[in-house]
This record gives sequence, C-alpha cells and structure tokens, in this order.
Amino acid sequence: MGEGTVGRLFLERRNRVCLLVAAILLLPIAAPAVADAMDLKLSSRTYGLIYERERPGGTKDRFAPLFEYLSTDLENVGGKNVSFHFYGWGRVDLADDTGTDGTSGEIGSAYAEYLHPEGNAQAKLGRFFLTEGAAMDTIDGAFVKMTTPVGLGVSLFGGIPVEYSEIPGRENGDSLYGGRVFFARSGRIELGVSYLKEEGSIRETDRELFGGDLWLQVIRGVELTGQAFYNDATHGMAYQRYALRVVPGATVDVSAGFESYDYKDLFGATLNPAFAFPFLRQEDDVNSIFAIVDWEFMKGWTLEVVGKRIMHDLANPGDATRGEVGLRHIYNKNMDVMGFSTAFVAADLPENEYREFRAFGTWSREKLRLTLDALAQDFEQRIAGKALAFQVVGTAGYRFLKALQLSGSLIWTDSPTLDKDVTGLVRLSYDLSATLGGKK
Amino acid sequence: MMRRAHIAIFLGAALLALLLAGCSVVSKTPSVPPKHPEELPAGRVNCLECHENVSTGSLKPYGTFRHSRIFINSHGTYARQSQRLCASCHAPSFCQTCHAGKEEIKPNVKMGDRPDRMAPHRGDYLIAHRIDGRLDPGSCFRCHGNKNDAVCRQCHR
Repeated sequence: MGEGTVGRLFLERRNRVCLLVAAILLLPIAAPAVADAMDLKLSSRTYGLIYERERPGGTKDRFAPLFEYLSTDLENVGGKNVSFHFYGWGRVDLADDTGTDGTSGEIGSAYAEYLHPEGNAQAKLGRFFLTEGAAMDTIDGAFVKMTTPVGLGVSLFGGIPVEYSEIPGRENGDSLYGGRVFFARSGRIELGVSYLKEEGSIRETDRELFGGDLWLQVIRGVELTGQAFYNDATHGMAYQRYALRVVPGATVDVSAGFESYDYKDLFGATLNPAFAFPFLRQEDDVNSIFAIVDWEFMKGWTLEVVGKRIMHDLANPGDATRGEVGLRHIYNKNMDVMGFSTAFVAADLPENEYREFRAFGTWSREKLRLTLDALAQDFEQRIAGKALAFQVVGTAGYRFLKALQLSGSLIWTDSPTLDKDVTGLVRLSYDLSATLGGKK
Repeated sequence: MMRRAHIAIFLGAALLALLLAGCSVVSKTPSVPPKHPEELPAGRVNCLECHENVSTGSLKPYGTFRHSRIFINSHGTYARQSQRLCASCHAPSFCQTCHAGKEEIKPNVKMGDRPDRMAPHRGDYLIAHRIDGRLDPGSCFRCHGNKNDAVCRQCHR
C-alpha cells in the first residue's frame, strides 16, 4: 500500500471520528429533554506572544503568535452522571511564521463520559487522554472500567492513537488497545497488571508493553509503590520504579526509592528521534536512587530536599548526583507564595555539571496580582563562550470581573543562546461556571 | 503465534471479567464523586486538613494524595491506577495543560503567573536540556517519547 493511500485512509478514518465526536457533543443540544439540566464550565485562555529571533546572517524575524486554548465541560447532564468534555487550542501568527502556514492547533480531547455511582465503574467515548497501567496516550476510542465486590477490577480500552509524526506516511498508528486487571482492597493494596499494543506502520515494529503497578500500605502512613513495564517488542524490561513513602501526618512526607531503565527497551519504540541514535547510544542503561523530603515545619513554611544519584553503564555520559534544597512560604490565606531553591549537578564529566538558583514570589491585593520569578544557572563548562544563564519573568495581572482576568508578562533572558532577549506575553483568562435548566 | 495466543487469552479473560461484572457484580462501594461535594478554597489544598481516613471512592488514604513535592514528582504512578480521583477536583483538561499531543508554548511561559506550580523547563531550557537529556533521558521520555515533536525535530532530525 502506497504512502498516498495510507494517508487518504487515515484522513477518511479521522474525518469519521471527528464527525462522531461532533455528534456526541451536539447530543445534549439536540435532545431538549436531556439538556434541561446541566452544569456548564467554559474556560478560555488567550495568549499573545511577542519576540524577535536573530537568524544566521544577522537578519531578525519578528514573531507575534496568538494562541487560544478553550475547554468546555457539560456535567450532570439531565441530572445524571453523564458529561461531555472538550479541550483544544489553535494558533495564528500575526507576524512572521513560527511554524507551517502561520496556523496550528489540535483537538486535545472531545468525549462523552459516564461515571457510575458505585464500584468506580465508568465509560468514555471520543478523544481523550488516558493514563491506565501501561497506557499514557491520547486516543480516539472507548474506555470502560469497573470493580467487583471482591475487589477485582478490569479496564479495557481501544481505538486509534492520536500522534503527530512528521514522517510522511507515518502520521498515525492504526490501532491502540489494551487493558488492565487489578485487585484493590480499601486502605491496603492495589495491584494491577496491564497490556498495551499499538499496531501500524508508524514504527519499525508494533508497540507492545506489559505493565505492572503496585500501591501497598505496609502500615498506617507507610506505603510502597511500584511500576514496571516490559517491552515485548525488544524482549526486555523497559522501566522499573519502586518507592517507599512515609506520610505520618499532614505536615511531613518522606520518600526514597530506586529507578531503572534500559535505553534499548524504553526508547525502542519511540517516535521522537531525540531518543534514538545518534543522540542517545542505545546500549546504555540507567540505575538511580533518590530521596525526597517535604516538611511543613511551621504553618505555611515548607522545606523541600531532593537528592538523586544517577548511574550509567557507559562512561560517557557517566554518573551524576543532583541535589536540591528549597524553602517555600504560603501566605495571604493560601493566595500567595514565595520561595527560593538552590540545586546542583555534580557529575563525572564537567560538561554535565551546573548549579542553579531560583527565587520567586507572588503578591495579591484585591484585584491586582504581581509575580516575579528569577532563575540563574552556572555551567561548569562554558557553552558558546558563556558560563552563566539568567531568566527573570515578571507578571502583572488585574481581575476586571470575577470571571475575567488580564495579565502581562515580560520575560528577560540572557543565556548562551539568547543575548539579553525580551519576550512579551499578554494573557486573557475567562472562566464561566453556570447551571443550565432546572430539572435536575 | 504463541505470543498472540497469550494476548488473546489475556484479552478474553479481561472481557469475561467485564461481562461478569456487567451482569450484576459491580461493587456497591461508592465511587469517587464526579466532583468534590463542597467548593474548595483557592490555592494548594491539603486533603488531610478535613479528612483523616481512607477515601471510600479511591480506596486509598487521603494522605496519599497530599500534594507535596513527592506526590507531584510521582503523580503519574497514581494516575495510572485511576484518573478518576484527579478529575474529582481538576478539570479533565488539567492534565493536558502539560500532556498535550503537541504543544508550542512551554508550560512555565504559559503559566508565568503561577511560579508556585512545578512547571518544567524554566529558563532557557535549550541549554539545560542537553545536560538533563544526557544524564536522565527517561525523565524526558515520559512526556516527549511517544510523539514526534516538531520543536524537537528542528534539531533532532
């Protein structure tokens, strides 16, 4: 089958799916009896960016992309646990092209959902972002899940994966399906095994994963979590992560664990060339140990300490240790926050070493909100002749109405790739929440 | 062939369990409510300020969902067991603020007015991503691995 035929088939199928989704979303409007009562949430975010970039040769491009992000949720339709959700965004360039044709966009999700009041039973139909066992994908399809009285549960999903390959003839996988079988006992354990398969010509081989996940409360306040994926296409354990977490109360949270992945097995089915040779050598693997402390030592004051030791099989890139200490203060009735953090990476190779310092704060009074976020990085080895990078983001916002807020940010950057660069951003936020109809 | 047979058995067993469950044996335990019964205050919420016990819906203690640095770092582990509890407080599109199929504005630029959120890629990340990508590419892969990002392809051809 030629690439053109594949492309046409793909488009025809995609059009059918879009029509189906549109029909689902129009259902509550077309059926007045159902549309009598529902909760409507509408959220709009408009972003206008303004910046310049110098091209090789010294000429400058001026960019002014305008983005619109829209999400709509129709919930409690007809007083039932039925809802419809939409999320999408689009971009139009008001100056030089930032991408192709001066426009871009996507429908992130558009689906109908039923949430059963018992047994966590649920169903989704349409386009949605799914995280279930081995799956973390957006699909055009269906998902069902439920739990039985003995604690056994099952979920199944299937459809067409939504991906954005730029390789001609490889725009999309043909199908993605799988499921998860799990056992859950209240307050004690949730143990699941899952399966995912994606077929199609988008990769050299089908994507096929077996997954395992565990949440176990060892004793009150002490839990063990685990997550593992086996790549059946490369016949190897792709990823494992195990962590012990202690949450003795509302103010202290401590965790330590182990993480491991093999490049060949984890990145073997990637669509992104950044994870393939020559950018990453597939014979490498990583073993890491980590520990995190999150301690609210005084009301509103939280200390965060993070440490991670990363060990590679290959001498290049070699091993490294990342450490971070941060302090965060929440005030003004949880409306504002200020904090600072310092982090370092100590590595076998000096090109991988850097230090990072960050300070941020917000200040709100009535309808006015100001924020400041400053970051400095000090690289052990100079990059393009510079060892330091800075960025400061300042924002001022004003709430005109309860649902309407306007804010503007100035982003100043001085780094090895950006020389005292200034980017402007205007942000318009609109949030509407209303109940339509009265027959709940 | 053997592998296909195993998969067929697995899917068959799952379907059978689903049919059995669909007939009459759905658990009577109350589900996670579609949304939090009471309006929550602004800012980061700590479930433990009001709840002490185990959530009957999620079957996990409320302490598990304390939105600490630890929870935020490993939220994917919990979301892969159930997205439903997340959706009880967060709008369904909340995940896609970062986990979009294709995204052209960095999360920390889009949310420049929310420095309290742990938006990744702060600063001129074009520089730091080389180091993070060399040392721990698995952390990048979670979001960027399963898509052919146009932004990545500008350099990674």
